[in-house]
Amino acid sequence: MTEHAALIADQISRRFGDRAAVDGISLRLEPGQITSLIGQSGSGKTTLLRLLAGMERPDSGRILSGDTVLSSTSQHVPIEKRKIGLVFQDFALFPHLTVLENVMFGLRALPKLDREKRATAWIDRLGLSHRVSAYPHHLSGGEQQRTAIARALAPEPVAILLDEPFSGLDPSMRDQVRDVALQAIRESGIPSLLVTHDASEALVHADKLAVIDAGKLLQTGAPEEVYRAPNSLGVAKALGPVHSVETANLPETWRNMLAPSGTWLHYRPEALTVAAGSDFVIKRLRLAGPISELELDLTGAQSLFAASQLGAPLHSGDRVSLSINPDLFFDFPEETT
Amino acid sequence: MALIAGIAAGDGATWDHILQNRLVPYTLTTLSVLLIAATIMLGLAVPTAWLISQYDFPGRSVFNWAMILPLAMPGYVMAYAWADLMGVAGPLQTQIRDMTGLSARDYWFPNLFSAPGLAFVLASTLFPYVYITARAAFSMQSLTTLEAARSLGSSQLDLFWRVALPVALPTILGGLCLALMEAAADYGAADFLGIQTLGVGIIRSWTSFGEPNTAARLALMLILIAATFLIASRMLQGQRGTQQTSSRWQTPRRTELPSQAAIAATATCMLILLICFVAPVARLLWLALENRAQAVDLAPLLRSSLILGALGAGFAFITALVFSLSSKRNETVRMGARLIAAAGYAAPGAVLGLGALFILRETGQALSGAVAIGFLVWIYVSRFTSAGVEPIQATLARLPKSLDQASQSLGTTGLRQFWRVDLPLIAPGALAATLILFVEILKELPATLMLRPFGWDTLAVRAHAYATDERLAQATLPSLLIVLAGLVPVLLLSWRLSRTERS
Repeated sequence: MTEHAALIADQISRRFGDRAAVDGISLRLEPGQITSLIGQSGSGKTTLLRLLAGMERPDSGRILSGDTVLSSTSQHVPIEKRKIGLVFQDFALFPHLTVLENVMFGLRALPKLDREKRATAWIDRLGLSHRVSAYPHHLSGGEQQRTAIARALAPEPVAILLDEPFSGLDPSMRDQVRDVALQAIRESGIPSLLVTHDASEALVHADKLAVIDAGKLLQTGAPEEVYRAPNSLGVAKALGPVHSVETANLPETWRNMLAPSGTWLHYRPEALTVAAGSDFVIKRLRLAGPISELELDLTGAQSLFAASQLGAPLHSGDRVSLSINPDLFFDFPEETT
Repeated sequence: MALIAGIAAGDGATWDHILQNRLVPYTLTTLSVLLIAATIMLGLAVPTAWLISQYDFPGRSVFNWAMILPLAMPGYVMAYAWADLMGVAGPLQTQIRDMTGLSARDYWFPNLFSAPGLAFVLASTLFPYVYITARAAFSMQSLTTLEAARSLGSSQLDLFWRVALPVALPTILGGLCLALMEAAADYGAADFLGIQTLGVGIIRSWTSFGEPNTAARLALMLILIAATFLIASRMLQGQRGTQQTSSRWQTPRRTELPSQAAIAATATCMLILLICFVAPVARLLWLALENRAQAVDLAPLLRSSLILGALGAGFAFITALVFSLSSKRNETVRMGARLIAAAGYAAPGAVLGLGALFILRETGQALSGAVAIGFLVWIYVSRFTSAGVEPIQATLARLPKSLDQASQSLGTTGLRQFWRVDLPLIAPGALAATLILFVEILKELPATLMLRPFGWDTLAVRAHAYATDERLAQATLPSLLIVLAGLVPVLLLSWRLSRTERS
């Protein structure tokens, strides 16, 4: 397998009319790593993907594969010459071709026998050897997506971009398809970008997270780091539930421990764990699998939200105490609230 | 049925004679005309549909609908116009002689009065069928599939040959079969150009040679060919499900062509429109003005055309309505109704006219007044009902099944349900269908020619008579009126298509 270079976006911007869809983004996709791009719809995810793929030209900035310039203000390698693999939510297989022919589609330079060998190898790696001669409309969604991934990887592209590849799949098969597919991508050493709106997918599977909002990257880093130390409320919210509370309403002991800088504090519900005691009244209780979500009364007509494993059954109206994990309390500068 | 009786009756010529001198040559001529026409239609329709659905170039939005305009021209009108344009004394050859100084014998010029000439005429009026299906197939194609192909290194040309065309081909061939079925049913253009197709053969066998059994056998062969195309088209179009494109991936559908390619694309589309619509219509107009064509004898023609059209359209509409409504809840009845309608649709006018003549002969009736008109209307109904059934059934199919139960639970049943629920719902579709029926009848030539009672010449019949008598100038006005009427449903169609494709 050839050595792969990183795919680098260097200060790229793209405007549509007045709106900056992508606003000075820099991002490195390292070889052998899965970078996950996460953000809401309209945040610029798809435009960034299209810029990297060469379907759009950036207004400013550069896109490089190692030292090779793919896009700049003066240069533009078009999509068909750029060698970037694309995987879409709707699979986008060629309906008139079999699995093998689909995977062979991008391998035109090689002699036929080599093409077949290479394609078959990728089909095997994605666990589809038994469906080689099937047509797309006879495949399940998971099989279709694995075919699409094999098709994108077979020409050994400089990078592979996956646009919500698993959200079209049945939840029951999603995990299995995702594991097989992402392992194959990681092993290939090809730099990859996984665009998703599913925070848990990004947290579990990515080597690196990039959170995008309004055309700007808010934060990049290892999943653990971004989850535990978000640099803004937007990032914190992108990765899971966050609640806000007025510091004035918090118990004295908590305030001392947390030392808030402003009038608001933000916390993940799992920062609060139920303990023996009678400090708070349970207003509402929801059983969500192994974890229960509790809403508790706080002075000043506010509620506290806790996600906790319960030892004994509790009911609304019961009184409990809470212990806190200060690491999951976030104290952002006031203008972000 | 009547045709089989006609074969059995067996007067006229011997089977050997029919086979050698009539059936085989007529069939071969028809098939070769259809083959050439198919090639021309694909060549005209597929590249334009691809250009218009995938690229932006000057005039694209106009060509988008204007490419359908040639459908308004009946084949015979196109033949008159091009015969005049291409004739030795016509403007094209005159121009060549003026420019080169050659005389008419010194150069070769394509002859319209030939099988390829007929194929050209038919293809240039019927290619919009192929264009419409090809355009729909291309624009329904998944965008992400095309993007994926590009990311795998496909150039624009590759994209067309390796992805778009193979995927769209079944649909396109379906449209082609429909167009070929119409081409096989032609009588007017072939007769005018003197090409011995089956359609011409049927009428000649009956009227000139006095060989009714020959006519019947030719008719059976023609039905066979037409039905084959119709069935093939239905099978091809139902074959592959369309693809879904996720709405997330918002690629602009069309890419801007670079300036030289854009000029070439615009020029190609303009040339096609010029040849297939603008030039022939302009020539007819010019001829009409140059000769100060008189409108004196138009009034009776217009009157009989309108009466026959209204009667035919009215009855065909009622039949279509009865078919559609009675089959609303019953799948078997529905399939049956469609089958009957389709059978009539596949039967060329010449064949139906012949059938009617056989019935008249067997029953000893004379071809006169009311009987003839009755038969004509009956033929119109059987030939064009399918054109009415399809839109009405399409509308009904979109309505929820529970609607009937809802209206019944509110105490509205039977005829009242029809007036208060069904009719208002299908009215827009039905109105369009009636209009299309009316114009189709206006354009119909062979059956009307065979069965019309004395004094009931329609516009189409008179135009044909003038043209075959080489009095082209007089044929221009009725021809132009037919084209004008034909434009109405064509514009309606193109408006509806553009609306469905946008939504």
